[in-house]
Amino acid sequence: MRILIVEDEKSLADIIKKGLEEEGYVVDVAYNGEDGLFMAENEPSDLIILDIMLPIIDGMTILKRIRKAGVKTPVLMLTAKDTIMDKVSGLDSGADDYLTKPFLFDELLARIRALLRRNSDVKTSIIEIGDLIVDMATHEVKRGGKNISLSAKEYALVEYMALNKNKVLSRTSLTEHLYDQDFDLDSNVIDVFINRIRNKIDRGYNTKLIYTVRGAGYMLRG
Amino acid sequence: MLSSIKAKIITFYIAILFVILSVLGVLLYLSLSKIVYDAVDSGLLSRAKSLATLVDSDNSKTEFEFSDEIMWEYNSPKPKSFFQIRRLDGVTLEKSASLKDSELPFSGKEPRTYFKTILLNGTPTRLVNFHAPDEIENMSKNSGNGLIIQCAENIQNQLNLLKRYRLILSLSILSIMLISASGGFIISRKALAPVKDISDTVDKISEANLSERINVENVSKELQTLASSFNRTFDSLERSFNRQRQFAADASHELRTPLSVIMSQSEIVLRKERSSEEYKNALTAVIEAARMMSKIVRKLLTIARLGADKVDLKIENINLSGIIRESVNLLRPLAEQKGISINILATEPLVICGDRAALLELVTNLIDNAIKYNVPQGKIDISIKKETGFIVAEIKDTGIGIPEEDLDKVLDRFYQVDKSRSKESGGTGLGLSICNEIAKLHGGRIEIKSKLGEGTIVTIYLKGNGSEAK
Repeated sequence: MRILIVEDEKSLADIIKKGLEEEGYVVDVAYNGEDGLFMAENEPSDLIILDIMLPIIDGMTILKRIRKAGVKTPVLMLTAKDTIMDKVSGLDSGADDYLTKPFLFDELLARIRALLRRNSDVKTSIIEIGDLIVDMATHEVKRGGKNISLSAKEYALVEYMALNKNKVLSRTSLTEHLYDQDFDLDSNVIDVFINRIRNKIDRGYNTKLIYTVRGAGYMLRG
Repeated sequence: MLSSIKAKIITFYIAILFVILSVLGVLLYLSLSKIVYDAVDSGLLSRAKSLATLVDSDNSKTEFEFSDEIMWEYNSPKPKSFFQIRRLDGVTLEKSASLKDSELPFSGKEPRTYFKTILLNGTPTRLVNFHAPDEIENMSKNSGNGLIIQCAENIQNQLNLLKRYRLILSLSILSIMLISASGGFIISRKALAPVKDISDTVDKISEANLSERINVENVSKELQTLASSFNRTFDSLERSFNRQRQFAADASHELRTPLSVIMSQSEIVLRKERSSEEYKNALTAVIEAARMMSKIVRKLLTIARLGADKVDLKIENINLSGIIRESVNLLRPLAEQKGISINILATEPLVICGDRAALLELVTNLIDNAIKYNVPQGKIDISIKKETGFIVAEIKDTGIGIPEEDLDKVLDRFYQVDKSRSKESGGTGLGLSICNEIAKLHGGRIEIKSKLGEGTIVTIYLKGNGSEAK
């Protein structure tokens, strides 16, 4: 899952990035409104965390511009403006959620999870695909009641595929959602990771859950 | 309970009215009763005189030539008129039949012509005593025995009339007073209605609704002063209230971001075991954020103190050139780090009235900005001159300048032209706002002209102490 943070307070942006990365998210950061707008429009993100008071272009304008451009990525406004008016105008301008500073990191995480769920068919933090269970709150993956231990990147791949279960995901889209903007999209690293999770999830079971769709990509299906 | 103005007005006004009407009533009554008595008296006197003409008197005897027509009046079954004729010594010579057994009172000490109201058999009666010789010409003067003709008339009817008149007068006065009282009540309520309007409006003004005002134009002239002084009070209340609210909003807003940094840093670092290097970094970030917070709080308090109506300023005569030299000396090491040269162009002593510490803060802040936003190897020129009523100091730098659209906002609290840049240099966005408050406290202002990439000219206008006026 790839998250874009647009926040001008560098120390705050950096610590949120660190915290989110430790949770297995891929994080891009923009320190001003201009970069934020560009990245929101051009980088495929699953979620945007947006401050309002930003240098060059303010968050409200970014929000209106990307919504007008047809970007449907969920936006969580994270701002010091805490009046009802601010919240109303933020949500009305196209934000999906509004969190005021100062905030608890756990709450931010829970809201991020909720927003990411909203875009998929999954409505709780536990996703089931056949006998595979993915718990997004604890990052635990089980198959047939047995714990499967995954690295952070492997977990991120499984979670993303689980959230988009029964859908074919291209290599490019998987790479984009698992790596930040500096990653080389042409690399075949995704094939390596698919291989690894196949070994951990499907080996020893008669029913395969991870499918390869020739020429199109991969799919998780129960 | 005469605490209400209305009751006071009405009571006072009714009292005056009562006195006036009573005096008028008494005068009216007295004049009517005089008219009534005069009429009765003149009737009695003329009757007495006509009786005197009927007296035929010589030395030896006195005869009366009373005809029945005359006597009829005195003999009617319900007689109203009486007479009695006496000698000077009081001996009765003749009396009217109407008197029957009673007599008209006579003491012999009365003056010659004399009117009196008496009670005759229980009825009020008017009496006249008349000395005949004075008036009767055909009466012999030598007899030595004049006659006293007493005429009397029942005046019960007249007294009844007066009594009724008295009653009518009292009732009229009473009803006039009642009508006036209720009229006065209505008038005073009407007159006091604007006061009630004012108090209603004042009641409506509350903490949440301080912008409500009394409409001075709707208020009568006498109350306009009161209304506008109320409005002035509310204006200053609202100003200071808004200032407090603004301060609280600013403070909470500005403190949220560093607070978020502190919270996130601690929370995220504590989520799992870390290396000591990571703990160190997190704590450093926390301390930095805390320092920023304390700086913001300090500056906010300065602004709050400066903005308050009563500032504890120590006003004295101060040489502004001295202040400028002092702050330049203070900041020179900082300027030299960036290779910036500072030139003071005018050094003639120019004296203003002001607070030394505040002015030093003002000048230091502005020169500090000129250094902070200057280019390396840049220049700062400071000049001071007199202008009508003002001492004008100009600080000109060769710095990065301020975009035109930001020029009118830089004096606002927390406004930062380039946030990331000023955060790096430790700016809070409060410095210029503080400078502006200080200049305002000294009856002056700050003007900023700037060209992007060429530099900024900050001009401080401070009210002179009077000696500079040309």
